[in-house]
Amino acid sequence: MKKKLLAVLLAASMIAGLTACGGGKSDSSAGESEPAQEESSEAEAPAEGETEAEAPAETEGGADTASSDDPWADVDTSEHVKIVYMTTGDAPSGDKLARYEEMMEQLNAILTEKVNAELETYFISWTDYLSNYNLTLARMDGTVDLVGTASDWLDAWPNSKNGAFLELSEDMLKKYAPKTWESVPAENWEFCKYNGEIYLMPEDNYAQWTNHGFTYRLDWAKEAGLENGVHSWEDMTTYFRYVKEAYPDIIPWDSDGTQYATMVGGWISSHSNYVAIDGINSGAMWGGTKDDLYTVYSPYVTDTDSLVEFAKMMKEWDEIGVWKTDVLNNTASTNRDDYRVGKVAAEQHHTQTWTDLVSHTAANKIYETDEDAESGFFYFGEESQNVVALSITHGAMAVSAGSANPERALMVYDLIRNDPECYKLFCYGIEGISYQINADGLKEDPEGFNSETDNINGITNYWWGRNDDLEIRSADRDWDKIDAMYADYDKIKIEYPYGQFVAEVDDIDAKINNINEIHTNYMKQIAFGKYSGTAEEIVAEYQQKLKDAGIDDVTAELQAQFDALYK
Amino acid sequence: MKKRKSELTFWQKVVRYKTLLLMCVPAVVFFFMFNYMPLPGIWVAFVKYNYRDGIFGSKFVGLQNFEFLATSGKLLDLTKNTILYNIAFILLGNFLAVFVAILLNEMQSKMFKKVSQTIMFLPYFISQVLVGILVFNLLNYDTGFVNGILTSLGLEKWQPYSDPNVWPVLLVIIYLWQQTGYNSVVYFASIMGIDGEMMEAAKVDGANGFQRIRYIILPSLKPTIVILLLFALGGIVKGNFGLFYNIVGTNPILYDTTDIIETYVYRATMTDFNFMTASAVGLYQSVIGFVIVMVVNYIVKKIEPDYSLF
Repeated sequence: MKKKLLAVLLAASMIAGLTACGGGKSDSSAGESEPAQEESSEAEAPAEGETEAEAPAETEGGADTASSDDPWADVDTSEHVKIVYMTTGDAPSGDKLARYEEMMEQLNAILTEKVNAELETYFISWTDYLSNYNLTLARMDGTVDLVGTASDWLDAWPNSKNGAFLELSEDMLKKYAPKTWESVPAENWEFCKYNGEIYLMPEDNYAQWTNHGFTYRLDWAKEAGLENGVHSWEDMTTYFRYVKEAYPDIIPWDSDGTQYATMVGGWISSHSNYVAIDGINSGAMWGGTKDDLYTVYSPYVTDTDSLVEFAKMMKEWDEIGVWKTDVLNNTASTNRDDYRVGKVAAEQHHTQTWTDLVSHTAANKIYETDEDAESGFFYFGEESQNVVALSITHGAMAVSAGSANPERALMVYDLIRNDPECYKLFCYGIEGISYQINADGLKEDPEGFNSETDNINGITNYWWGRNDDLEIRSADRDWDKIDAMYADYDKIKIEYPYGQFVAEVDDIDAKINNINEIHTNYMKQIAFGKYSGTAEEIVAEYQQKLKDAGIDDVTAELQAQFDALYK
Repeated sequence: MKKRKSELTFWQKVVRYKTLLLMCVPAVVFFFMFNYMPLPGIWVAFVKYNYRDGIFGSKFVGLQNFEFLATSGKLLDLTKNTILYNIAFILLGNFLAVFVAILLNEMQSKMFKKVSQTIMFLPYFISQVLVGILVFNLLNYDTGFVNGILTSLGLEKWQPYSDPNVWPVLLVIIYLWQQTGYNSVVYFASIMGIDGEMMEAAKVDGANGFQRIRYIILPSLKPTIVILLLFALGGIVKGNFGLFYNIVGTNPILYDTTDIIETYVYRATMTDFNFMTASAVGLYQSVIGFVIVMVVNYIVKKIEPDYSLF
């Protein structure tokens, strides 16, 4: 009898355990459990206090009398909702978290008052960010409402196609995000459409340059005899050679193994008029030329001589010792921070990063320790004057198709993007703690500012609707140099021409996957000079593999899609 | 007796053996929930998955998701690498595990036995990521431990991260270092289960240590070895992703000898989050694994029916 009882108990407890686990899992995958969750949060809302329920009624009344420009006067916001904003970035902890929460408390007070909603952030940490990002979207269970996205680096179009994002009708935008709707010109909305539906709200009023290049020590370049700084890849070789000899303790550039694609891409734009199409593969291997934008080709197949030259130069860099010998297995490089303290002599990243590195900020210790220190920027494309402006969907906001409150999400976004108070809180933090405005109207660090914990900008990572009308320039940036560089760009730039093109890759997906793999494998060896045999041989082998994998078919298919769109 | 049993209806049997059945329930529920209920999800390998339509609402595309693997031209190489590594792991791993288990059994000092077992067991608990970092810090060219020693001895530096040929050996060594302690536990346990009287009798008959191992321990271990081998064979097409990815990383110079199905698929599909393709590959591996287990089990059954799985 006892045994029987024991068996029943054991079995029961085991099953209970299993269903408990199963329950937790299905919460995230099955949609059914979601309404239950919402119901409970609804039930909680009134319990939190009658005051909250009254608050919106008051403000609504107040808004009616004080000003009639409350755009949402006729929207029912009686129910308090939580809007979750998803962004790439590491979740804050410790003091950083406390700062973030202080800011969010103030922001949420405003949001509650205006639209009876509160905001929460869902962080996608940088480790494996793309997989986690896509996986979170695939859950479609209302975990997130607002989604920070990008057509060139966060799969905005594939996710739109997969049904992860909500179609934003014009009526919806006009009603729930009126300021955003007005501020974005009609032609820019066109760039946010797929199959005639708007999916993205673009960051189209924010000047930034994310074309890549090398940040280097201008003072050392001068020592090396490059009086005007580095202006070509050959100059770069001279510079690295000099640094290696003059400063043997310094690794000229402690690269990790992932830089190959930008390197060869930079080389090609420096030596041709190639304009790449974003978002087809990470190598951006197809595009047109500045003179003939709508004839698709792949310079990786046609520009053989240029690639051979590249392979030779990179072999030379490898022999100079620009990077560590085992660069391909080097995953733990902290090159940018090393640059700030003078342990390396170059950093390969985009102009935006250079604007930070060139400035005498607290983090950039090189300028404190060495009075002569200066940072120059050699941008890819300088030799051929080939610079393409950023696509306006390099940063954009979308609404998850799984969102339970898309209307309110739009309202919250409209406020964060256009309301000065919300914008400053969300982008800069609380005035007096995270920033202050100096006499010139520039933003500077307040007394006792700790860049590790107090920098709200580095936590919220709001890159999906910054607004130059509300941006405040930082006092610690070297604006003379930056504006000069921007002016140079403005002279030679062309606008990104393929904003409306969303490639249909279903039929060529298998080929593109294989091309990616070939490109990665060969380019890593070529771009770090790690190939065996001659440069001519490795490039020929690489191009043959690309052809075998069907790169010409992909080019032809893209051309056909181009013709359908542009002709 | 026999007759009565067969007269029992299904429900009578249920009532009669209710305790036993009840005891089976947790296992049945477990396997049903985690191994059978997800099975229909295999369908995702045959559709163009759309988040909103779900797995069964998405468009059926037949074998299109298998295309990339087939057209890469690497399927054979990858499968070959995966299987060869696994054969090395399984054979050497089991051989060493049996060997270690016997050694442990022969040890007289209890203290020493416990300590050595613990030390061998420890690497099993180290995360593969850490193992990868350890190996890199031991072997890298510029600052590695091994090269530090070589330099101080006045010898030429060793460059394993540029030499694909050393990795099969290195990977097998790393695997054995990590797994042997753990694997030997099973064998050690079955040695402990051998009837003590048999050993006593052998001793009385004058059998020395080696003879006891040869004629008593090894034959007693045979069923365990065969069953563990059979289990291992089922996964022979499934590579050890953690080991390979963390130790080899994404260094294309080494791919010729170290690329397995998992690492290739991970690299090729990581960028576009294509779990249709990933499922297709998983299905390919499972089907091959299934075929291998069936064939081997059939062969074992022919030779020694008692040792077969089913």
